[in-house]
Amino acid sequence: MGNSANSGKGPVGKFFGGVGNEFKEIGLTFAQGDWKTKVSYLIMGFGPLMRKQFLRGFAYLAAEVLFIWYMVAFGWGYLKDFTTLGTVARVMNDDGTFSYNDNSFLILLYSLLTIILIFIFLVVWRMNLRENRNEEKLLAAGKQLGTVKGDLYSLLDSHFDKTLLAIPVLGIFVFTVLPIVFMIFIAFTDYDANHQPPTNLFTWVGLENFKNLFSFGTTGLGSTFLTVLSWTLIWAFFATFLTYFCGMGVAIMINRKGIKFKKLWRTILVMTIAVPQFVSLLYVYKMFAGDGLVNSYLMKWGLISSAIPFWDNPLLAKIMIIVINLWIGIPYTMLITTGLLMNIPEDLYESARIDGATGFQMFKSITLPYMLFVTGPFLLTQFTGNLNNFNVIFLLTQGGPQSMKLSNNAGYTDLLVTWLYKMTINDTNYRMAAVLGIMVFVVTAVISLIVYGMLPSVRDEEGFQ
Amino acid sequence: MKKKVLATLLTAAMVAGCLVGCGGGSGDSAADTAPAADAAPAADSAADDTAEGDAAAEPVDYGSGTITIWVAENTVDFTTQKAQEFFEANPDMAGYTVTVEPVGEGDAASNMLTDVEGGADIFGFAQDQITRLVSAGALSPIVNDNLTFVTSNNDEGSANAAVVGDVTYAYPMTSDNGYFLYYDKSVVTDPTSLEQIVADCEAAGKNFYMEINSGWYQPAFFFATGCTLTYDTGDAGNFTQCNVDYASDAGVVALKEIIELASSPAFQNGSSVDNGTNIGAIVDGTWDSRSASDAFGDNYACAKLPSFEGSDGNTYQLSGFGGYKLLGIKPQVEPGKLAVCHALAQYLTNKDTQLARYNAVGWGPSNVEAQQDSAIQADVALSALAEQLQYTIPQGNYPGDYWTLATSLGDDIIAGTISASSSDEELTNVLQTFQDTCISYAQ
Amino acid sequence: MGIKAKRTLGNTITYIVLIIISIIWLFPFVCLFLQSLRSYNEGGGGMVEYLLPKQFSLDSYTFLLSQDSQFVRWYLNTLVIAAFVAVFQTIVVLCVSYALSRMRFKGRTFLMRFWLILGMFPGFLTMICLYFLLKQFGLTQQGAIPGLILISVASSGMGYYVTKGYFDTIPKALDEAARIDGASRARVFLTMIIPMSKPIIIYAALVAFMAPWCDYIFASYVAFGYSDSYNVAVAMQRWVWTNDYQGYFTRFCAGGMLVAVPITILFICLQRYYVEGVTGGAVKG
Repeated sequence: MGNSANSGKGPVGKFFGGVGNEFKEIGLTFAQGDWKTKVSYLIMGFGPLMRKQFLRGFAYLAAEVLFIWYMVAFGWGYLKDFTTLGTVARVMNDDGTFSYNDNSFLILLYSLLTIILIFIFLVVWRMNLRENRNEEKLLAAGKQLGTVKGDLYSLLDSHFDKTLLAIPVLGIFVFTVLPIVFMIFIAFTDYDANHQPPTNLFTWVGLENFKNLFSFGTTGLGSTFLTVLSWTLIWAFFATFLTYFCGMGVAIMINRKGIKFKKLWRTILVMTIAVPQFVSLLYVYKMFAGDGLVNSYLMKWGLISSAIPFWDNPLLAKIMIIVINLWIGIPYTMLITTGLLMNIPEDLYESARIDGATGFQMFKSITLPYMLFVTGPFLLTQFTGNLNNFNVIFLLTQGGPQSMKLSNNAGYTDLLVTWLYKMTINDTNYRMAAVLGIMVFVVTAVISLIVYGMLPSVRDEEGFQ
Repeated sequence: MKKKVLATLLTAAMVAGCLVGCGGGSGDSAADTAPAADAAPAADSAADDTAEGDAAAEPVDYGSGTITIWVAENTVDFTTQKAQEFFEANPDMAGYTVTVEPVGEGDAASNMLTDVEGGADIFGFAQDQITRLVSAGALSPIVNDNLTFVTSNNDEGSANAAVVGDVTYAYPMTSDNGYFLYYDKSVVTDPTSLEQIVADCEAAGKNFYMEINSGWYQPAFFFATGCTLTYDTGDAGNFTQCNVDYASDAGVVALKEIIELASSPAFQNGSSVDNGTNIGAIVDGTWDSRSASDAFGDNYACAKLPSFEGSDGNTYQLSGFGGYKLLGIKPQVEPGKLAVCHALAQYLTNKDTQLARYNAVGWGPSNVEAQQDSAIQADVALSALAEQLQYTIPQGNYPGDYWTLATSLGDDIIAGTISASSSDEELTNVLQTFQDTCISYAQ
Repeated sequence: MGIKAKRTLGNTITYIVLIIISIIWLFPFVCLFLQSLRSYNEGGGGMVEYLLPKQFSLDSYTFLLSQDSQFVRWYLNTLVIAAFVAVFQTIVVLCVSYALSRMRFKGRTFLMRFWLILGMFPGFLTMICLYFLLKQFGLTQQGAIPGLILISVASSGMGYYVTKGYFDTIPKALDEAARIDGASRARVFLTMIIPMSKPIIIYAALVAFMAPWCDYIFASYVAFGYSDSYNVAVAMQRWVWTNDYQGYFTRFCAGGMLVAVPITILFICLQRYYVEGVTGGAVKG
């Protein structure tokens, strides 16, 4: 991904240079513009309307009207409370009913929405100026301005990307960007079980939650966080690479010359992808429980005298999770590697065989390097995916077993993300959940950055086409 | 390129407009004028419905709307039918329609906490959730005549269970939220001795179930040896003080007994008949009586919890919690609806309904008169519970963190981190940590 | 030992290993199936410690399909969600992929990087916020089904990688030729690229269709307290995890079979496209 066209100055210098240029151009547009352009500084779209660019003009005008209406009728009411997040909590009336007042949650949410909309409005205002300037330039050069029909057609042709992306971008903005920004801000508030709107208010607490996460005293989360974090990383490592190699092994076995019913083997394995995990994993959990099928039969056959604590012993539980994840993960890797293995030229193996190489040598010096090269990015996404692999952990152990050594509901097999979930659902401790969410992001981002740089197959995107 | 931003902005503005429209809706409903909360209900729905027709009272306008009720899955049909009867008996309140949803006692509380406004108007919950619900503002206080209804009809324990700080917040529904022993007659020879039960199960290759990693079952041991663990609460659902003495010789005796039990091959951690297999005996509550009698068939039997011989040579009777199920009302903005909710909740917890509920699903009543009913006196599970209740303490309020901490202690025992080989000093240290952490939950 | 004998031995070992693997992989499903056939009269529908039921019956299935249970409704809910999500999510993904693969516009790299970064935040983080956002639109509880569809579709644009990777492999020269003939971008997209992308469309739709069957976390968060809006996963995991349901273990197994069988059949029929999709996606990152 190389997009470093103007990489002369540092990013900061570039930014301020850019802002300076913008202001210069805004001033210039005003100084050199005609009266229509000047009016457009206050009434957006005035210039284009006067120049008979009705579609564009009305669009700008409508944007301004809507924005002002939004701010007056809605946005300002929330934005003014942004610094306090509300001051009047719910009160009980004399007749036993309650009156709901400030809702910190909605104040924060709509304040953020309003702030973002203000920025967007400024950008539109700036575009409105540029539109005026362009039109003036075109007219001065004696050229025709575009027609409404032309504008509309361009949305299907040269500007087709705007048509295609408008709804997806809006959807992601409302249901992904806004919530994430909101939760990042929650990490700096005291939104928890005791400060829950609409009954109670929550407010800003600065960095207190982060201090709590990294404090190692008796009440802090420090040591628990480190335990959970290290298991998260260990889990992701084993889950990714064991599955990868075992999956490749199975694929090699199925691909072996002379093995029949290739399709049957594959189909059997693939069933674990098709059957919903909440069915299969819940059942597998019960199978290995202290009183489950496996222990019962082992005891019945006299192989053990007391049940194996598959889920009760922390170490055993961790091993079980990794092993059962193989059951889930192998089919997936098997599918992927099968196709790729067939791409390796057969003559490479032939000549190696003539040189007297054993199967393992061939795997080590031909198959593995090729596979690692091709599937590097896949391994990275698998790794980051496993960092957040909620289902396997939650449906099997729900994070348990717990211990007095761990605080806040965490168990020995909890990943950061399952711990986050427990905090949200069991404790409604949103403040710490938000902090944990940010930590998950940091871990994922750091690992991605490091590994991405090491990948042999990172290539120029354009060059690939 | 203008088009893109324009389009985005316009759509965003429309979204915003939509938000304005919807956001306004929630607040403006308090304007209705309707009667005061406790004016109507207490009289007509308490014990007899005949008080209805007296006096020349003007029909009061209660308004109309929907009332959502959350109860456990197996009582949905029962509750729907009772709600219907209620509106037939009180036609002046029939402007309301009732939806009954299957949301169990555990889920009800967490759902109410997630979104009070989206929650049910009337909901059943187990007593251990009450402080969480109060601090989240999910319960309406009960005062005046309504309060009299609670205190005069129900046993003392259940009425106290609905109190947080000095305020009563719910209508008691059952007094059967305790546990006792279900066992298989053909396996267990002597249900009064824990050692014997475990030995019998081992010999028969059966499992003995007790959920020792639950803060609810675990105190059976600690309270048995004379330890205490209670919390005092403030009005806002906060915890003001913790009274605990687990870190003592008595605590060590109890802890050792749990460890010994957990080390038996017959022991399984659990308290649900359905999730258990090959059950010889199980410590469980009345809600599982049907499953238990299905599972044991002709060998179905119940008893109070057994006693055990402690490491100090004394014999201790297992104790535990006696708990209650409650029916709460969400804070309302309309007085009319509030009055109807109170009346309906009282109807759903009065003597006749509690008896009918016993007949329908086997839940033991909290109503003192209902408790004297001959059918209830004769019930095996309920009489085992009643016998056990002499040894238990009424369950007070505990912070949510306590239950987690107890699970952690239990898990440590099951995992063998704390084991029979630990010295008394180590065990005391564990209990000291436990005790200190319990105290830290009360500010 | 000759080469042939060696190969036969190798093959035999491979067969043995493959058979063992197959047994391990199928075992839980066989258990699930057997338990779903256990009669209610045998231990009351709870768990048991043995494999073969002593008394076979279709009790659990008849219960689920009868009036006593809302299972059929939950099943249809899930089917509706899955169908709508499959259609709309595929459309959104195709649009985004085409724009990012074929067009070069200002902010393209920014958009791709920004989405990549967004994807690094855990999804559960924003659950509470999404709940209240949906609630503002009235799309929780009673409206949970359209709400769930909206949430799944709204953020699906970020999952464009596989489809874009596929579009990237279609030669650009084809587009250029058509454009020289006067076709607009929209026409190229609709009449050329889409017909050529059948495998990837089927892959995208299949993946989108399967996801809602597993969604028990967010779906229960949005639909709480209103059982008419549950999907199968939400309803069934409550049978297992809450204490209110007695004798539901065999019903859980039966429900699991009813969910798993059609999806598995669908999946096996379309397996070819799935393999093509995941393989392509893996190689291109």
